[in-house]
Amino acid sequence: MESAIVARGLEKSFRGAPAVMGVDLRVEGGERVALLGANGAGKTTTLMMLLGVITPDAGTIEMLGHLLPHERSTAMLGVGFAAGYLPLPDKLKVRELLGVYGRLYGLPDPDDAGDRALRRFGISPLATQMASELSSGQRTLVGLAKATMHHPRLLVLDEPTASLDPDVALRARAGIESLCEADGTALLVTSHNMTEVERICHRVVFLSHGKVVADGTAADVAAQFGRPSLEDVFLHLASEEL
Amino acid sequence: MSATTLGLNHQRIGAVVRRQAYVQRRGWHRWFDVAVWPVVDTVIWGSIGLYVDQQGGAARSGAAYMLVGILLMHVLYQSNIAVATGFMEETWSRNLINVATTPIREVEYLAGIIIVGLVKLAAGLGMVTLAAWTLYSFNLLEIGWAAVPIIGVLMLVGWCMALYVIGLVLRFGTGAEILAWGVLFIVIALSGAFYPIDALPDLLQPVSRSLPSTHAFEAARTVLDGHPLPWDRLGWAMVGLAVFAALGVGFISRMMRVFRDRGYISRYS
Repeated sequence: MESAIVARGLEKSFRGAPAVMGVDLRVEGGERVALLGANGAGKTTTLMMLLGVITPDAGTIEMLGHLLPHERSTAMLGVGFAAGYLPLPDKLKVRELLGVYGRLYGLPDPDDAGDRALRRFGISPLATQMASELSSGQRTLVGLAKATMHHPRLLVLDEPTASLDPDVALRARAGIESLCEADGTALLVTSHNMTEVERICHRVVFLSHGKVVADGTAADVAAQFGRPSLEDVFLHLASEEL
Repeated sequence: MSATTLGLNHQRIGAVVRRQAYVQRRGWHRWFDVAVWPVVDTVIWGSIGLYVDQQGGAARSGAAYMLVGILLMHVLYQSNIAVATGFMEETWSRNLINVATTPIREVEYLAGIIIVGLVKLAAGLGMVTLAAWTLYSFNLLEIGWAAVPIIGVLMLVGWCMALYVIGLVLRFGTGAEILAWGVLFIVIALSGAFYPIDALPDLLQPVSRSLPSTHAFEAARTVLDGHPLPWDRLGWAMVGLAVFAALGVGFISRMMRVFRDRGYISRYS
């Protein structure tokens, strides 16, 4: 199976302050990988570079076999993105919003695809509601429906379940897992919820001060740092980040 | 996969049009630009022109000049504002990351908001024409076909100005939005929308002559005086427009590079 992400030697500085330093990241087709690290470790900057929204100072990125930035548009046809912190646009009903994004992704029947995506996350009744009037949990689930409605080969999620109630987080996880299992979708996700990461992902990559400091299964990474759990590794690295 | 022309994907352009149409339909304040301000401007400038006519001191009809001026000013205004605010809608609703991470290309996005801008332009001009006819018994359609190239030049100037405004918003963030309106009114003042540029202070006249919009407004006044369309003036306008457009495309391309290089997307997360 084709690699979903092949990034080599990614570097990025903002006003001389290094944010990402020499990150190599590979995600195979169908593989589920968590990108972990404390605030400021370089996770979101790395994701934004992979999505072609921020230009790296150095390094190369191949998404689904397409080299960025020149083949960004083609690559993004197979990529879905959602972030728990992003609002939904004003003045659109949920079904209209999904219809717009379905067309941006070139779907032949965008409205039907939107309805199916809402069903996947158990939120069909929201279809006729205004997107801007949803609760934060509902907004996150609609964001996930938007990111998955075109059955992407790679799903990139930035803090998808941050500040969600446990029941909504469970529904989000179930929808993501069902998509990944049914379609063989690769997943790259950032999260501060280590239990969630251990449950969903095959592999974790830890960033600290913009560098990859660990890469392996949750158990391997915990063992590498001599800590009993991923949570303890996170806390250990976060204390170094401060 | 949907059809493409010149490498542009029709379905993605249609998605942008659809998104803007929803915003227009539900954003009541958006109707001010296309329905209210055109009428208000027509009343203000039409009444000033009528008052000048009533004083009897002017050699030409003040009302006709003002009303043609307001029609053409709205070409510049509507074409610039519709495109600039179309883009700003994404910054206001913090939707830029969502759009930027889809397959849409910048030129397709621009094409979408330009199509919406054309519809809004037609609506705005329709309102000015209707208001001039019902309130002042002045038929703006009497200018005839000569209005077509003049309107074309002003519309393109408006779109080019929107490129500069969008570039500035990309570079400086939402604080630069004020320029969408500010730059527009500076250009309108310098272009002599309602007066010959001889009426401007000497210092400003060279600046005025360098603007393609100035030549378009002058051409309109020439036609209004009963002369044929001055193609030489429109030729100068086209030359100026070509330079203005080339600089605009260069500017926005540069600003998009800066936007991606400096990670300004984080302003909208």
